[in-house]
Amino acid sequence: MPLAMLRQGETACIKEIIGGRTARGKLTDMGFVSGKTVKIHRSSGGPLIVGLGDNRIALGRGMAHKVIVNTGGCEN
Amino acid sequence: MALNKRERKTTELKVALAGNPNSGKTTMFNELTGSRQHVGNWPGVTVEKKTGRAFYQDYLLEVIDLPGTYSLGAYSEDEVVARDFLTTGDYDVVLNIINSANLDRNLYFTIQLLEMGVDLIAVLNMADEAEKKGIKIDKNKLSQLLGTPVVETVASRGRGIDNLLEQTVQNKNLAEASLKIDYGSEVEGLITEVVAVLKEYDFTDKINYRWAAVKLIEHDPEAVKLLEREVGVSKAKKIKSLIAERELKAEDDFDNLIIEKKYEFINKVIAESVQRPTEDQEPENMSDKIDAVVTNKYFGIPIFMLVMWGIFKFTFTVGDPLIGYIETFFEAAGSWIGSLLLGAGVSPLISSFITDGIIGGVGSVLVFIPNIFLLFLAIGVLEDSGYMSRAAYVMDKVMSKLGLHGKSFIPMIVGFGCNVPGVMATRTLDSKRDRIISILINPLMSCSARLPVYVIFAGTLFPNHASTVVFSLYALGIVMAVIMAGIFNKILFKGERSHFVMELPPYRFPTLKGVFIHMWEKVGAFLKKAGTIIFSVVVLIWVLANLPLGVEYASAQSLIGQFGQLVAPIFAPLGFGSWQAASSLVFGILAKEVVVGTLGVVYAAGEGGLRAALTANFSPLAAYSFLTMVLLYTPCIATLGAIKSETQSWKWTLITASYLFVLAWVTAFIIYQGGMLLGIGV
Repeated sequence: MPLAMLRQGETACIKEIIGGRTARGKLTDMGFVSGKTVKIHRSSGGPLIVGLGDNRIALGRGMAHKVIVNTGGCEN
Repeated sequence: MALNKRERKTTELKVALAGNPNSGKTTMFNELTGSRQHVGNWPGVTVEKKTGRAFYQDYLLEVIDLPGTYSLGAYSEDEVVARDFLTTGDYDVVLNIINSANLDRNLYFTIQLLEMGVDLIAVLNMADEAEKKGIKIDKNKLSQLLGTPVVETVASRGRGIDNLLEQTVQNKNLAEASLKIDYGSEVEGLITEVVAVLKEYDFTDKINYRWAAVKLIEHDPEAVKLLEREVGVSKAKKIKSLIAERELKAEDDFDNLIIEKKYEFINKVIAESVQRPTEDQEPENMSDKIDAVVTNKYFGIPIFMLVMWGIFKFTFTVGDPLIGYIETFFEAAGSWIGSLLLGAGVSPLISSFITDGIIGGVGSVLVFIPNIFLLFLAIGVLEDSGYMSRAAYVMDKVMSKLGLHGKSFIPMIVGFGCNVPGVMATRTLDSKRDRIISILINPLMSCSARLPVYVIFAGTLFPNHASTVVFSLYALGIVMAVIMAGIFNKILFKGERSHFVMELPPYRFPTLKGVFIHMWEKVGAFLKKAGTIIFSVVVLIWVLANLPLGVEYASAQSLIGQFGQLVAPIFAPLGFGSWQAASSLVFGILAKEVVVGTLGVVYAAGEGGLRAALTANFSPLAAYSFLTMVLLYTPCIATLGAIKSETQSWKWTLITASYLFVLAWVTAFIIYQGGMLLGIGV
């Protein structure tokens, strides 16, 4: 499911990044790649605040729909 | 391989600093060169490349600080500056500044550079932060895996700098082969084929063929453009169709595959060279706790307003008494020097030049040093703390209604200091449309140059509500910016929404050194401005006030009086139709402080100085209307220059200059005429 649909506090594993070249490029540059664990620190209407390792990244809703995740953490 | 290195003396080195935003490049730059570039804790502090010099042993190092970038992809103007320099610039070594506490993402950029064949030293900066988190990096192992020298530093404390310089000099002729990542049999097969074709086509030998092939397989638009330029469109097409054909056959997106392999490689490197604490559940850190409050859905915006209010309250309550002292000093100095000069038999003209012109004009601007000082102190703390990007985050709610996103708010905050860097800060926005709108509204952010005008008027005519009046002007500026952004969004551009991704760096406690550097730089710039442009304009006005020869100083018959009278009718419906006010506004376009400087010169003849003259010539309502005009009207020439160079267009520059004048006039008209009707402040 898209990252945008997770609730605050939930953790998920990135499965793939979809969307156009620019959007995908920007996401992968910031470290959104398959196999990484993401945590939703804030989801309250506006952009999300996502925890990716030690980084905190504000992510617009549109962008968050391009990150496809599996709920629950990544293996290992 | 040095990509585009030019001949230079063997003891001269060109060294570029490159890396992710917030990895400490500018701090490193300051450490290396002893210069004092502004460091902030938000992505996008550096938007253009800056050059400085460092000396080590017999070597002269030219150090270039590049804007931060996450990759060579380059989506915004500042990243393009960095990318273009790295791919085509002239340098010997790149110091790739890496945030040690955030190795995996930083290495993504590092390996891109290494693949390209850039000679680089991997600088593990912020080593102390990594240590604090219990991250242990095996430097030798990492160096071996990346095939490039690795140095550990803490730039903020000057740790490891000598070693870095030593390594830089030693590795000035790095000749390591470029990094090779195994992309899997399918992609590797294609790479070999593409490389063979590139060789056949005599592709430029300045570029690593393997890297070019990978970039082409990734469909990188820049690489495709380069290829077309080098070998011609028809041959380029052949290569493109070869790639497309293989991709179709493999039923896979090769560019995705390449990215995955890159991260796989990084994961392997990290697994072999980095030890992280094993605890599964990392304790919630301080930054997250602060964020839980300041980014709250309901409290976020009020907290931001409170922060801004706090800044202005601080600027005024602490600054006000100081202004009083300086004002008294200049008044006393003026009359003392005046009598001294007269006593010494100096001609009254020269005496008037010094007391009315210089002290009355430049002095009336210099009085506001304390405010400027305090305002930049507060902004410095705000920038260094990391709150800037949080403010941008909470304002996204408002900005998104205008078709912009939160990131566009950062240039607006920068504009509170000065609109020139504010306009330049829009480079971090990746959509052209967002950039233009942000540039058009930036002058509405009330800059520090307008502060002297507010303070003198508010302090004189609203002595009991001075800070409220000033704050209301700042707020009015923001409201107007929001309205105008909404209008531009509707009429000028449609569609093309950009992608909102913004890093929220961890909070840092602002260092005294950092904040003071920032403040000195700004106060220094203010003093320089006072000594150059403000001084010259004030002298010009004093001369105009004395011409034609024999005219009564600063009278309506003087040249400045005649000029003012010519323009004054435009402003009469706004409540300030005097020639003095009119000419101050016209000259204020040269620099906004000049509004006060002009009034200082032309009213200097009166008893009791500028304040008494203002009380005699402005009603509170007219004063407020005047301040609105100063807030909103045509930006100063420096800002217009920045708009011209950033938009590369006279059209946008003229649109900004004129729409702001109209907006200012209409707003001041409504305030003055409305106030007259209601009988407020007349």
